[in-house]
Amino acid sequence: MSLLISVEEAEFTFLKEKTESTAGNLSVQLDKLEKAGYIGIEKSFRGKRPLTTCKILPEGLKAFEDYVETLKKYIE
Amino acid sequence: MKKEMSSKESLELITQMISRAKEEAAGDGSFQLLLWGWVVALCNFGHYILEKVGYDTPQIVWLLIIPATGVSIWDSIRKRNRARVKTHLDDMLGGIWISVFVGMLITLSFMSTLSFQQNPIILILAGIGVISTGVLVRVNVVRNGGILLMAAAVVAFLLPVIDQYLVAGIAMIFGYLVPGYYLKTTYRERV
Repeated sequence: MSLLISVEEAEFTFLKEKTESTAGNLSVQLDKLEKAGYIGIEKSFRGKRPLTTCKILPEGLKAFEDYVETLKKYIE
Repeated sequence: MKKEMSSKESLELITQMISRAKEEAAGDGSFQLLLWGWVVALCNFGHYILEKVGYDTPQIVWLLIIPATGVSIWDSIRKRNRARVKTHLDDMLGGIWISVFVGMLITLSFMSTLSFQQNPIILILAGIGVISTGVLVRVNVVRNGGILLMAAAVVAFLLPVIDQYLVAGIAMIFGYLVPGYYLKTTYRERV
């Protein structure tokens, strides 16, 4: 989510590289976030290769902001 | 068993991820400044020199703009398609520079109406583009380059048309090339 709030949209390969997770693991997590309504996933093609692009949704942004606020309160 | 993170570790991870995202999104940013800096500086100096030596059609140097425009558009499209992230900044910068380019085209279309004083206006438009870019990417060297282009426009207005080409050429070195090389060499340190 931290990666997605910084950008308008990001490709699956970018998220996989930056989170240093496996494709399977990342897919599961993205699926959960999509089901929760926090992110949108778009599947398309770049030439002949499949392309998955993710973007954060307003509800996801709000949930993330609330989470960060809670974390800050715990630290204080 | 899954390791639970403390609140502090969670916040650190979030900060790290945001940083990694910005790093990828930032890109080098120098290509367009260097391309246009070199092309327009050479054209301005070329025009100035050819006119001074009495060549009949010094404006022939400006034909270089045509392939430069092609390269510029090709590079923009290529970078946009290859980018693994898209940011609002890309759209903002794109909008600014397309507007600047259109403004320049309109200005150049009415050169005779302007009594061929188009150089200072081109410098103002370029200055707007460079200042905006510098402010948006938060690099003062770029912003200052834009301010310099504006100052050069003032100087150009005070000089005869022929000397405006010399001023514009010098302005492109300090307003485009210096910021361009600065962005190129400091790219890794900046992000």
